[in-house]
Amino acid sequence: MSTQPAAVIGIGQTKHKKKRDDVSLPGLVREAAQRALDDAELNWTDIDAVVLGKAPDPFEGVMMPELSMADALGANGKPIMRVHTAGSVGGSTALVATHLVQTGVHDRVLTVAYEKQAEGNAQWGLAGGRSGGMGAGGIFAPWMRTYIRRSGAPEDIGWKVAVKDRQNACKNPYAHLHLPDISIEKVKESPMLWDPIHFLESCPSSDGAVAMVLTNEAGAKKAPRKPAWVLGTAMRSELGTFPGRDTVRPRAGVECAHMVYDAAGIKNPREQIDVAELYVPFSWYEPMWLEGHDIAGPGEGWRMVESGETEITGNFPVNASGGVLSSNPIGASGMLRFAEAALQVRGEAGEHQVADAHVGLAQAYGGSAQYFAMWVVGSTLDAVDKKK
Amino acid sequence: MANDIAIVGYAQSPSLRQAELTEPQFLFPVISEAIERAGVERREIGFTCAGSCDYLSGQTFAFVMNLEAVGAWPPISESHVEMDGAWALYEAWVRLQHGDIDTALVFGSGKSSPGLPAEIYPLQMDPYTLTPLGADPVSLAALQARAMLDAGKITEREMAETATRSRKNAIGNPYAQVTGDDDPETLLKEPYVTAPLRRHDLPPISDGACAVVLATADKAKALSKRPVWIRGIDHRIDIHQPGMRDLTESPSTRIAGKNAGVGKGKVDVAELSATFSYQEKLLSQELGLGDGVEINPSGGPLAANPVMAVGLARFAEAARQIAERGKKRAVAHATSGQCLQQNLVAVLEGD
Amino acid sequence: MTDAKQDEVDPNAPVAGMDFFMQLEYHELLCPVVREFADALMDKRLIGHRCPQCGLVYSPPRGYCPICVVPTTKADEIELATRGIVTNYTVVTPVQYYGQEETEPFAKVSLQLDGGGNLSLQDLLEVPVEQVHPGMRVEVVWAPDSERKVDDITNRSWGTAEGAIQGWKPTGEPDASPDDYSDKVF
Repeated sequence: MSTQPAAVIGIGQTKHKKKRDDVSLPGLVREAAQRALDDAELNWTDIDAVVLGKAPDPFEGVMMPELSMADALGANGKPIMRVHTAGSVGGSTALVATHLVQTGVHDRVLTVAYEKQAEGNAQWGLAGGRSGGMGAGGIFAPWMRTYIRRSGAPEDIGWKVAVKDRQNACKNPYAHLHLPDISIEKVKESPMLWDPIHFLESCPSSDGAVAMVLTNEAGAKKAPRKPAWVLGTAMRSELGTFPGRDTVRPRAGVECAHMVYDAAGIKNPREQIDVAELYVPFSWYEPMWLEGHDIAGPGEGWRMVESGETEITGNFPVNASGGVLSSNPIGASGMLRFAEAALQVRGEAGEHQVADAHVGLAQAYGGSAQYFAMWVVGSTLDAVDKKK
Repeated sequence: MANDIAIVGYAQSPSLRQAELTEPQFLFPVISEAIERAGVERREIGFTCAGSCDYLSGQTFAFVMNLEAVGAWPPISESHVEMDGAWALYEAWVRLQHGDIDTALVFGSGKSSPGLPAEIYPLQMDPYTLTPLGADPVSLAALQARAMLDAGKITEREMAETATRSRKNAIGNPYAQVTGDDDPETLLKEPYVTAPLRRHDLPPISDGACAVVLATADKAKALSKRPVWIRGIDHRIDIHQPGMRDLTESPSTRIAGKNAGVGKGKVDVAELSATFSYQEKLLSQELGLGDGVEINPSGGPLAANPVMAVGLARFAEAARQIAERGKKRAVAHATSGQCLQQNLVAVLEGD
Repeated sequence: MTDAKQDEVDPNAPVAGMDFFMQLEYHELLCPVVREFADALMDKRLIGHRCPQCGLVYSPPRGYCPICVVPTTKADEIELATRGIVTNYTVVTPVQYYGQEETEPFAKVSLQLDGGGNLSLQDLLEVPVEQVHPGMRVEVVWAPDSERKVDDITNRSWGTAEGAIQGWKPTGEPDASPDDYSDKVF
């Protein structure tokens, strides 16, 4: 058995919103999965295996949900796995599904990620039920402030990212937040949640799910729509807390990026990648990851934001979908990045389509910025080579 | 055909009713021992995958701390399943199929002692219809055992015999928690806990960990005089709603066993995740294991049940039978969910 | 685990969901190193383990160094200084959830102790939240003998000093130079 190409041939997602009280948990995942199957023009019986991902079980109070969701996901008699790598889980889940296809273990794999945050209480879950919970923003805020101090970035960079992503979200019918009136002033005037992060620089809490169908070369040839080819995958983790750890530019993130670039044959990410979906739950993480994944040099990430390069019409568009800042069903947020990058290189992103997108990067991170999952997808198997 | 992958190292912690150490603390020496026995350098390991459960610990992101037991610095390529470590082994087995890396570390760990299983496990059931009923593992197992008794597929005496053999087998096992040499008659005189289950039909509540090191064929041959080959591995799930299943059967075990190739040769020994006594016969039948097959020489889950590690421990124990006890062909089985809803089966062979 | 808040319900509306509250209790033994940490706190001592290989200090001790992957023991125990520098901080505007008692914005600071050792998520006393900043020199404020307790210490995140240490207060010395702390987020 040798490694063979894998491709995304079906993508589906739910409308993400504050509370999806019209569907149950299985109903939510099934909605996304059915859309992915419809996109691939496949039936439930065509699927060989299911890979499910979500953030911690205590968020909804359902333990090992693959067990109770097996029926709704058509998994009876099939293999189903449940991946959990903190916030990067949606990405890791897609990668496990990809590996099942690349190694020839299965021909067609359905991968699904979700979170139904309104059905539980994520803040309670994060705080372990105790008072004084910091929230994710409380953990990340000091690191963002350190980035600002190190890079000398002006304070409006965070506001600009917040505005850009919300404007992009208005072009994405599935996005949770549609804020057509968003402005720098509104972001700046919104309440300070965790200095330097204002309310409007922070991700929402969403209910939502996303699903993809992955298959091999033979399957991709039969697919009704253009496939997105997986050109590289990488996962990398590091310890979360130890004296002297660099949390602003975590080494696992740097290494993960280089692994995925190498796998895809990318020598110059800024030139060879057409579109990126990065996990940016708080505005400052856009410049932080641009530098942390060596897309931009030290102190250059915020300049890319400032000059408009990361806008949908810029030369390095980031989060054309609106990103995590506009939709955050936590467990699905990582896979949404992966699916949106695939949509872009398939040319199926609709109003938020980036022109001439042939190579896409998707990234998800989690824990104390210590878990990373990435893939590079292309419109063709030689999409990167064509750019040399 | 999949590439051959071998088990080249394994280690377990003792199974304890209440561990004083934290999960990463008791994982720490287990991982070190497995790596040492495999003879690999820690930095050489190409992929690491863990299995654990936040709800057992009562802490969101509990698995993050377990990274400390691995030494994830400098960073490592790593993943985690919220499943038994046996599924972490499966993910690592898939990862090794790529051929770009040659070793993987797998571990599973859990502490069942801090919480009450009867309160926690109902959360594993359908949250709308079954969790509110408090559908706990012992009650559900009792329903399944009753179904088997009523169908004439097992007797209470056979259940007691399984428990007796498990306890006796466990006497020589340093990792076991429940040992004993009572005969079935003595056990059958005990009162029911939840009819038709008696104390001996139930697994102990355990804290523990298991780690396994895998290697690709060339690497395994270089590392080990006695690599234990994974000849086949597959896992399947059945319908969740117990009321929609024939509880006297386990179709997922049957399919997984067939796909893993259990029937392609003579099986010498099987390590089965028969968490309740009656499940051993059900699993044996679905896997087509005949009378000549030695089952759970370690004592199995009735002797030590470190949830999230117990399935992976079946791999370690089956590998031990081949690497240390001269057996040729073994079956390792793991399960997840209630009433054997999800099952993983692997065939292991020596050279 | 559902949200404690219940909106006003229209009695004629179809039922879209039901609240299901549950409670799980966990009782875990304190592991030996955290117990020793807790006992030392009762004696107004802050202890840690210094890795015999790399020299990094972990407080509370973990019983190993995850960087070198070697065990640490009582022999590696050191007493930490109770003065240090604020290396970073967060001001949290509390989100209300079940069990949350905080209502007003509060600060949590990370500290680098003189002579080695770091503590995170500490409370700063006598300083309005808007005046918290990196570089501040602070010293420990122990809970009075009669009130000091370590009952709330658990193994989680290797324990906290909650109950024994009330917080940290400014020493009144000038701020430390950014060179002393700027790259030490932890």
